[in-house]
Amino acid sequence: MEKIHTTCVYCGCGCGLYLHVEDGQVVGASPSPAHPVARGRLCVKGWLAHDFVHHPDRLKTPQIKRGERQVRASWEDALSLTAERLNEIKEESGPDALAVLTSAKGTNEENYLLMKLARAALKTNNVDHVARLCHAPSVAGLGASLGSGAMTNSIKSLLSADAILVTGSNTTEQHPLVAAHILEAQSRGATLIVADPRKTQIAQLADIHLEPCLGSDVAWTNGILNLIIERGLADEDFIRDRTEGFSVLRESILKYTPEVVERISGISPEDLEKAAVAFGEAPRAAVVYAMGTTQHSNGTDNVLALANLILATGNVGREGTGICPLRGHQNVQGACDMGALPTVYSGYQKVEDPGAREKMATAWVTDLPSTPGLTAVEMMEAAEVGRIRGIYISGENPMMSYPDRDQVKRALESLEFLAVAEIFPTETTALADVVFPVASFAEKDGTFTSTERRVQRVRQAVTPPGEARSEWEVAADLMKRLGIEADYTSPKEVMAEIARLTPPYGGISYQRLGISGLHWPCPDPDHPGTDILHRESFPIGRAKFFPVEHLELEVDPEYPFLLTTGRSLFHFHTGTMTRRVHLLDREIPRPAVDINPEDAAALGVRRGQRVLVESREHSLEIEVDVTGVVPKGTVFIPFHFNEAPANLLTVQNLDPKSKIPDFKRTSVRIRRAD
Amino acid sequence: MTSTPALFLDHESLVPLIEELSKTLEVVAPVYAEGEPVFATWKGEALALDADNPLNSPVEFFLPQKEVLFKYVQYSGRYTFSEEPPKSRLILGMRPCDLQAIKVLDEIFGTELSDHPYTSKRKSTIIVAMNCTSPGKGCFCASMGSGPAAKEGYDLLLTDVGSGYLVESGSPAGMFVLRANSRHFEEASPEHLKEKERRLALAEEEIVKRRLALTPEQIREAIDETDWEEVERRCLRCGGCSLVCPVCHCFSVMDRGVPDGERLRCRDTCTLAGFSRMTSGANPRASLGERLRHWYLDKFVYIPEKTGMLGCVGCGRCSRVCLSDVDRWSILREAIE
Repeated sequence: MEKIHTTCVYCGCGCGLYLHVEDGQVVGASPSPAHPVARGRLCVKGWLAHDFVHHPDRLKTPQIKRGERQVRASWEDALSLTAERLNEIKEESGPDALAVLTSAKGTNEENYLLMKLARAALKTNNVDHVARLCHAPSVAGLGASLGSGAMTNSIKSLLSADAILVTGSNTTEQHPLVAAHILEAQSRGATLIVADPRKTQIAQLADIHLEPCLGSDVAWTNGILNLIIERGLADEDFIRDRTEGFSVLRESILKYTPEVVERISGISPEDLEKAAVAFGEAPRAAVVYAMGTTQHSNGTDNVLALANLILATGNVGREGTGICPLRGHQNVQGACDMGALPTVYSGYQKVEDPGAREKMATAWVTDLPSTPGLTAVEMMEAAEVGRIRGIYISGENPMMSYPDRDQVKRALESLEFLAVAEIFPTETTALADVVFPVASFAEKDGTFTSTERRVQRVRQAVTPPGEARSEWEVAADLMKRLGIEADYTSPKEVMAEIARLTPPYGGISYQRLGISGLHWPCPDPDHPGTDILHRESFPIGRAKFFPVEHLELEVDPEYPFLLTTGRSLFHFHTGTMTRRVHLLDREIPRPAVDINPEDAAALGVRRGQRVLVESREHSLEIEVDVTGVVPKGTVFIPFHFNEAPANLLTVQNLDPKSKIPDFKRTSVRIRRAD
Repeated sequence: MTSTPALFLDHESLVPLIEELSKTLEVVAPVYAEGEPVFATWKGEALALDADNPLNSPVEFFLPQKEVLFKYVQYSGRYTFSEEPPKSRLILGMRPCDLQAIKVLDEIFGTELSDHPYTSKRKSTIIVAMNCTSPGKGCFCASMGSGPAAKEGYDLLLTDVGSGYLVESGSPAGMFVLRANSRHFEEASPEHLKEKERRLALAEEEIVKRRLALTPEQIREAIDETDWEEVERRCLRCGGCSLVCPVCHCFSVMDRGVPDGERLRCRDTCTLAGFSRMTSGANPRASLGERLRHWYLDKFVYIPEKTGMLGCVGCGRCSRVCLSDVDRWSILREAIE
């Protein structure tokens, strides 16, 4: 038996774990005691990270659609058909009729090569990935206010906080190892403030639990900051020396008095005051947030309001402070860093900047397109009307994870060519013209970048099943067929190229990563990495305050319930992996809608009965779970389950600033299904 | 059980000895994987015998996290089955706590309806145990009566006495290994034996002094008094405590693959709701608090009733992996104080 140290494939915590390998099979997993985040611990998904690897459903041979059926094909046929079809569409309709969706589950090296495939080989900036649906508002919001969209501090830094505000994050279930750090800080004396309409475990463990109604984040955040300034708890030195725009902000939030905030959010003035005092008086305070903040039609404003809060209290650039957007996938940070976004190359170098474009074009020995591409959801809209005709999707399952499933289906079906690289058959591979079977995290080398900007090694433990290949090989092969030089022999070589062209990764090399990895920015080979950003200055010089206003949302009396969606502890995302892990699937085998006991009584439904949840366009039949975790008037459906896909109900209501859809607030009505 | 006089092995002679043994057996030993000790197949790398007991117990070589019981192949409507024979192994450096866990498991899996996948691996494995002369920080084997000195159940037993290892055999298989490799050993002196006793007494004193654990009687009392709802409130539901426990042995069986495939046996944990939930949806241990209470009862009441031995060997791993940082002993202690 061998034990291979690698990085977990699920959430952004980026825990180190050992895969146990016997006779070429992964037979177990265990935590890594020396790993700085795991510290010898894992969540339940991590303990069972090995279980899906050899599942018989794994895709083992390439498939090509012939008529209505997908039939087994050789790699040569699948690759040449893909290159041919993409080339034809490019010739006929121009490069922007093509798009690439990369994967937050892939390695940095794979994301980089897929980004290069789109830009250098296909000549389009239509490249995006699932970050659009999770932290696009963080990239937009924090990018504008601080100059970088990433988590400012390390996970370990939370241990030294005196107050932690957790909002829109079900941390104990979605980032259990971050939660362990937060709760450890609390046991050392930090005040834990949790703002969440649901009574999640971390909300129940909080010293102060604020229960705002959905869509009122800007109001209560402004309200807290208003109180902090009123009490003289703002950090005037910091505001004077390191920020700009404070007076306009000050003016704009005056109207968010505790009474106004109570009317909008339902938070009592007493609770708001307690939270403001605890956060304002703390010498070191940190903000932790996730999808509950970003996945709104005003997601960027929510982020900006939080950024204003930490800037006005001077909680940036020191241990125990900072703003921490928690990333949902183990490499969604890395996919962004690698430029799998329509506007930037790796290292956030803008495609519109002629200097950056020239640099990449020279390195890649080709010419590059200059106009930014379409975002993920915009690609679906363009596909539906025939403006995009061919898409390459790497390890994403838009049929389950994007809003408005019907529209996604129409969009993908109207494509002339769809290639999908996956480890398991999904609702999306079912629509593909070519399916590439690719390696899982246990079967390839590379790096993942965790939520705290920690670049870490992924180490191959076993060989891929059947004829499956690592996706970096697939991307390189396609590039060669499309006339771009791509003679890589290993992911290590790809990383050398990334380091050469990506300033924050300049000092990253496999030799240096070891067990703990390195935090970017790490500009040169002697640089120790940066665990805390903005210590002395911001990349944009001074940080900026952006006044943001509460967005009044309509309530339709016909659809009186608010549906919010998310994940559960025992499943991950669209369930492709976890629903094939026996113990996890057994724990939550079926979808259910969480309904508050009072609502359930009024509707006349009991636990286990079935209801119809209806939005304006769609309807979903699902079992009921009656629980006080959700407040009255709000219902929750996890989006893991194909049997009751939550995203059938969500709509493409996009945040104008970041193009993220509003997954967290959909008006629905509910009736018994009998 | 020592029926031959104790022998002495130089520190320097250990590697040549296991090199010799690895010609005919798979030698499993604590080695460093990216700097941390783990039990893995020894391929000539540096041994981690001086490091803390690895986080994952060598019990996994008898009860793997996941094992193929047999493979099935369907041909013209008939099934044929194939089973892999167990590997001949030697596990070096197993600590007394893990050895005691195996003794409990032998009683559970080896008697009455004996469990073939377990017992076949047991029979084909030689255990070279090692006494704990420098116990880990969270260990409390002395309170559970399982260490720091191994009493029985080993084929060979090593004790580091400073200048080398004192080697005692505890079974015919152990004696055979000693005789077949006699050139590596010399006779132990009375000083070596005395040094063994001295070092183990010191280790025991150190463990007892820490007072990490309660006595089994106190624990049984505390289980009744503990506020399990409070423990539930704080538990982050990782299942780590039972997944890492060397005595925990619950498994589930499933067939993967149609028409051909494998029958798998996978490690399971009673801390999950699905473990005790019935097909109807009813769950006799519906709350996590009840399940955690059951876990303690199993270790301190049910397993002792069944086997006459405690279901806890004091290895301290459950505390090491606890995601919620639940200090088990202070919770139990508070309950009775």
